[in-house]
Amino acid sequence: MKSQSRLAAVSDRVLPNSKTTRITWLASLVFCVSLALLPWIIKLDGKPHADWQQFLGRFHPLAVHLPIGLLLLIPVMEIAGVFRASLRDAAGFVLQLAFASAALALTLGTLLAYGSGNAGTLVTRHMAGGIALTIGLLLCILARPWWIERSVPIFYPALLACMIPLLFWTADQGGSITHGSNYLTAYMPSTLKRLTLANTTSPSTSFYAMHINPIFDSNCASCHGPAKSNGGLRLDSFDLLMKGGKDGPVIVAGDPEKSLLFHRVTLSPDQKQFMPAEGRPPLRSEEIALLKAWIQQGASPSAKTLAGISTSDERPELPLQPVGDYSALIPEIQKMQQAQGAKLIPVSAKPADGLILFTVDAAGSFDDAQLATFQKFAPYIVEAELGRTAITDSSFDTLKQFTNLRALHLEETHITGDGLAKLSSLSQLTYLNLSGTQVTEEAARPLGSMKNLRHLYLYNTPAQPATNPQPAQPIAKRTP
Amino acid sequence: MKQHPLCTDTEHGHDVMNLPVPSELKREWATLQTRRHFLGRTGKVLGWAAVASLLGDRALRGDTHSPTGVQQGPSSAERLRLPHFAPKAKRAIYLFMSGGPSQVDLLDYKPHLSDLYDKDIPDSVRGAQQLTGMTAGQARFPIAPARWGFKRYGKTGTWVSDLLPYTGRIVDDLVIIKSTNTEAINHEPAIMLMNTGNMNAGKPCLGSWLSYGLGSMNDNLPTFMVLQTQLNPKEDNQPVSSRLWSSGFLSSEYSGVGLRSSGDPVLYLTDPSGVDREVRRDMLDAVNEINRQTYQELGDPETHARIAQYEMAYRMQTSVPELADLSKEPKSTWDLYGPDAKEPGTFAYNCLLARRMAERGVRFTQVYKRGWDMHSNVGGLLPMTCQETDRGCYALVTDLKQRGMLDDTLVIWAGEFGRTVYSQGGLSKENYGRDHHPRCFTTWMTGGGVRTGITYGETDDYSYNVVKDPVTVRDFNATILHCLGIDHNKLTYNFQGLDQKLTGPVPASVVKGLLA
Repeated sequence: MKSQSRLAAVSDRVLPNSKTTRITWLASLVFCVSLALLPWIIKLDGKPHADWQQFLGRFHPLAVHLPIGLLLLIPVMEIAGVFRASLRDAAGFVLQLAFASAALALTLGTLLAYGSGNAGTLVTRHMAGGIALTIGLLLCILARPWWIERSVPIFYPALLACMIPLLFWTADQGGSITHGSNYLTAYMPSTLKRLTLANTTSPSTSFYAMHINPIFDSNCASCHGPAKSNGGLRLDSFDLLMKGGKDGPVIVAGDPEKSLLFHRVTLSPDQKQFMPAEGRPPLRSEEIALLKAWIQQGASPSAKTLAGISTSDERPELPLQPVGDYSALIPEIQKMQQAQGAKLIPVSAKPADGLILFTVDAAGSFDDAQLATFQKFAPYIVEAELGRTAITDSSFDTLKQFTNLRALHLEETHITGDGLAKLSSLSQLTYLNLSGTQVTEEAARPLGSMKNLRHLYLYNTPAQPATNPQPAQPIAKRTP
Repeated sequence: MKQHPLCTDTEHGHDVMNLPVPSELKREWATLQTRRHFLGRTGKVLGWAAVASLLGDRALRGDTHSPTGVQQGPSSAERLRLPHFAPKAKRAIYLFMSGGPSQVDLLDYKPHLSDLYDKDIPDSVRGAQQLTGMTAGQARFPIAPARWGFKRYGKTGTWVSDLLPYTGRIVDDLVIIKSTNTEAINHEPAIMLMNTGNMNAGKPCLGSWLSYGLGSMNDNLPTFMVLQTQLNPKEDNQPVSSRLWSSGFLSSEYSGVGLRSSGDPVLYLTDPSGVDREVRRDMLDAVNEINRQTYQELGDPETHARIAQYEMAYRMQTSVPELADLSKEPKSTWDLYGPDAKEPGTFAYNCLLARRMAERGVRFTQVYKRGWDMHSNVGGLLPMTCQETDRGCYALVTDLKQRGMLDDTLVIWAGEFGRTVYSQGGLSKENYGRDHHPRCFTTWMTGGGVRTGITYGETDDYSYNVVKDPVTVRDFNATILHCLGIDHNKLTYNFQGLDQKLTGPVPASVVKGLLA
């Protein structure tokens, strides 16, 4: 009974009791409901509409910061109002202003999304957040007088407290649309990243994953991706690519000319249909060539290679593996640098980039035994310049312990290649120079199994004609 | 406490004026006792105190030197913590085409210019540009189309003049920059700007910044070497002075060391008869000892530079003859570089030497070729200059590539500006002159760190103004530093109250489009 009477008392204080307040309440209710139904009234269909909508809509990113600032200001003013009453008086006005600007930003945002044909989960979520915030602000305006009168003291502060995380979430969705979803985390320190972010999936090695998807990623995904899917088309995965957009499939396996996507990117850039649209740079000719070959040969998601396309040079650079910290050895390293002869020089100011072993001054006198003395530093050495030294095949046993070696110079040495296979355990090795040695084709064969070895030089060796990846032949002339 | 005799406090004890000293001295003391003198003197004392603290305890202790006299502290590269990031290129070779090669005739192909022969260049293209005194007075500015044909080369199908058939063979390995532009229109300021980032003399050049910043990779040769191509008296040669490889306000250890283009590469390289290696060593040790004493006395860091240079010269007595001894080069080298390379002082010979220096750990080699300043008789001179340089450029790039050195060597080909599309002086189909043109000129790079097989930037139909992706001299130099692992904004040296840097105070940016 007691609780009922209390409820009655509260409702008496809260419920509209004059005609004007009733009208205000009714109007607000209608407004809230229609706002909540907005996504169903204005359907984001992924098609661009009138230009004027886009023109006005593009003021959304400008206008949207005003309600953000004002909304954050309100709790500050309310709290500060405890100490200074004038601030509390002003807070009501700021609240109304926040609502008005939020409504304006919402209108512009809706125009932008609808006019430019934006669609996708990010856009939908951002819009929902904007609507919820606008409704929330209106409710705040209505509930604030109760708080001032202390009739329902808890509702307004609670609502306001809920608004802040909602604001952050909505703003994050919006930011992800314009800057990409990894904008905030891209430069996060790696230790923090490991703690906060889940591991990304391991990269695939198919031709599509290595060469085709990166083209879409860098040229197309900002409009045809998770953030926006203009024309209903998304190019961020193989399945979505093959599904196509509003106008049907965009890839016809085996026939680039009939593939809508290929047609649109190969038009003349001044045509309206040309992609990438809005003056973005056209695809490079080599990208178009890769795309064409890939479609022509069946647009397979899994094929690793394509006939007639050599991609050895286009393989993305191996991400550099950081080596351990050699700081403890610095005094020793420095002493070596001051002495004449072989020296270790840091690749860069970052110890994780490793050390380079230079032997140019010792050259002729630097032999297998001297190389062995560097074993202590082996894990930190990423490059060994042993050209013109006196080392022999027996150094391969030492060198295979240089596990972080990326580049190895053995040019003009007495190497014959006997035991080169021992180097195949060096998974980081991308550069091997055997020029001017006696390495034969037979001896160099085991190197074929080293996947990351991209630059192999066999100039002036018995092995040269068959395996030299970069022949010294002048490039054939072509007349127009 | 006993008072100092010079104390003038009359209330306590002696007055100096009562001392038995000559009267002139007393007069002098009297004049010294002015307020102005006191203030001046105090200022000086404070100044010396500041100097002492600036020199630090190193200058006062004098215990940081090795027995040989070479400073054993960390090298400048270690102190500066360079490179700032892992570089793509460890070394660079800069082929400098002094005088300003004509981009219109060589690499910036404008096919429709032949229809405009002898037509005046539109005022709208020329704008309000101030010309040099050599053509400002001309009544007309008639368009002089390139006299030579162009062909497409390589997989990239890049247009190259018939004057550069060898360069044509390496176009797929180059990034050709058509949009390089400079602010200077005359040789000296322009060549200073390219090399030092400033039109006025006194700033360190690119090579000095590199050797200051990155240090040496070897002990026996200088970090920065300069090779001059013997001049061809038939050509219009502009002077190339040692200002261009000066270390400016950096220690003179970092300046370029030039090799002579004829005779001994370094003068007095061989010891005179009767002086053997040991005597030379003893002499140097004695000189170093004297220099060390001088340093202790005066604390001038240039004394260290002097000691280091003597030591370097001593080691060069053996390293330079080995460097310049081409007798062990295989036949394939001569097939590649051509017969010119056998003759010391030619451009091809210098290119071969530059390759040998790169092999021996020289950080930066600059090869100068003069004779590109063709105000008249382009028809007669340009084929000659191209013939002298074309094969050397091709051979160097090809040689570095086949030896696996192009992966970590940056090669740069550039002059100080371009040349005008309009003719200076008389114009015929066969012959014309071209004036200096700063608004656009063509350069190329290849090797470690740059994206090859592309053309960067575009000029208008007259090869007069840059219309796309301009590359200023500042940006050009910032990009070179980037390839070598240096952030151009961070490699600075405080001088005259400013953190000086190669790219100067005007903001510069690394040209991302040029990078691999």
